[in-house]
Amino acid sequence: MQHGKFVMMGSVESNREVQDGHFLMSVRLPPAFATPLPGQFILSHLKNRGDILLGRPFSVSGFHRHAHHVQIEILYRVAGQGTRLFARLRAGDGLDILGPLGRPFEIPTGIKNVILVSGGIGLAPIRYLLTSIRAMESERALRTDVYMGAKTVDELLEPEAIRSLCDELQVCTDDCSMGHPGLVTEPLEKALKSYSLKDTLVCACGPLGMVRRLSEILTQHPLACQVSLEERMACGVGACLGCAVAVRGENGEKQYQRVCREGPVFNLRDILWE
Amino acid sequence: MGIDQKLLPPDLAVHIGGLKLKNPVMTASGTFGYGEEYAPYLDLNQLGAIVVKGLSLEPRMGNPPPRIMETPCGMLNAVGLQNIGVHAFIRDKLPFLRQFDTPVIANIYAESVDEFPMLAGILSEAPGVHALEINISCPNVKKGGIAFGTDPKMAADVTRRVKTETDLPVIVKLTPNVTDIAMIAQSVEAAGADAVSLINTITGMSVNVETRTPHLKNITGGLSGPAIKPVALRMVWQVVNRVSIPVIGLGGIMTADDALEYLIVGARAVQVGTANFINPRAIPEIVEGIEIYLQKHKMTHIQELIGSLKTG
Repeated sequence: MQHGKFVMMGSVESNREVQDGHFLMSVRLPPAFATPLPGQFILSHLKNRGDILLGRPFSVSGFHRHAHHVQIEILYRVAGQGTRLFARLRAGDGLDILGPLGRPFEIPTGIKNVILVSGGIGLAPIRYLLTSIRAMESERALRTDVYMGAKTVDELLEPEAIRSLCDELQVCTDDCSMGHPGLVTEPLEKALKSYSLKDTLVCACGPLGMVRRLSEILTQHPLACQVSLEERMACGVGACLGCAVAVRGENGEKQYQRVCREGPVFNLRDILWE
Repeated sequence: MGIDQKLLPPDLAVHIGGLKLKNPVMTASGTFGYGEEYAPYLDLNQLGAIVVKGLSLEPRMGNPPPRIMETPCGMLNAVGLQNIGVHAFIRDKLPFLRQFDTPVIANIYAESVDEFPMLAGILSEAPGVHALEINISCPNVKKGGIAFGTDPKMAADVTRRVKTETDLPVIVKLTPNVTDIAMIAQSVEAAGADAVSLINTITGMSVNVETRTPHLKNITGGLSGPAIKPVALRMVWQVVNRVSIPVIGLGGIMTADDALEYLIVGARAVQVGTANFINPRAIPEIVEGIEIYLQKHKMTHIQELIGSLKTG
């Protein structure tokens, strides 16, 4: 019987505020830590905190394998009590890490264009997907167009780094402080018909409003779309059924699936809007 | 004396009804799925027993999200007994669990009194089910659940009817959301229960002050975790003093010391729930901690510890 998976102890290498309330943390882990697939997440526990019990799930934003260790990058927004404590971590602090977990983005054979759409901190998994696509370029060349939105330019994460990794970047800000003035789905909607249905995949992560709007505009031009969802989570391994999301089952019936196991990446068309 | 007692590991085995457990630490229903979810992280043979997620006759969809919220030293949940149904459990989940030398306890939930004996009958025929735990204490479902557990007559009625349909040991899981939990315990004992387990979660609530909306879609949920341990421990102690059947203690056990407290006040065994979410290896670590404690205190059998509370 296989029971070789362990919670691994990581060590914070750096944890800096890259934009207002948004942090990029780099954690060093033992080499036995499996290479995450883009879209997968980790569940991270603060050590020796009796008051904060549950781990916090974070999308993997970057990963580097070195000779004697691996490095995982986590891009996160301070959203509550837990992430506020993560933001206080300093180089050398310890963290328990469970993962990589969950269902990744999957780019089917035949796909030639990938449209990546992010809203706010939704960039976290999109960033790793983009670097992974670039890393496998020699085996499989894909065109990547990124539509990246944020409330304001001060919350726009690493636009120049993203620009250098993709074929085309469209930046959007709700308050008109940079790029397209308005929602990230607006320029995408305009460009939508220029993408071929048979070889284009949309991969998205962002606030529910953005995902919902995406599902509306994609009814006009039904490109395949995978979206990474977020929900409060306790165990991360499928046992607690806390992270439920309403989806259409195989026979079209409504059912609750687990963000941690059947997700976090779902087919947009399967998501039920309640 | 041919054998030096000090060299032998202490005997952790306990009996619940007719069921022998190799150690007194089992999973709490709803926190360990159907076992397979945690199998990559620990050897399931190390568990005293596996109590599976509550099973109903038909599959249940569960409550809409958000279903959980962390609260100080605890968490609220309102999953609503989402489960695959008893038939799919027997067909798809039980064969995996049969590989292990660990008793499987099926937790059962029904919306009506009549369904409980039906579930008991079905599970008693299934090879690999070693005991039943009757859930008359779920706070997060509209029908059944806690309603059976807050009324001593209904609790006894459900127990009696399950007992007539099964030869398996029957554990009744009690809710703390009552005035006198020991009275309910006495009532199910008189109806033939082989053991009681307590406590299920304490009904609670949490509000987002910015949006002025409840954090849970169900509005209320069940509180678990270290926050409830002193309350649960007090209730276990009260019940131990009023019934003669074994009492299984649960509520906020995170460490071996927590488990020891329950055993000292008289719990025959314990269940670990929320701790599994924080550390998948919590149970084997607690078992090891109990063993070390017994050795340190020169006890050869866990029976020496159970109910050894000194109140002066």
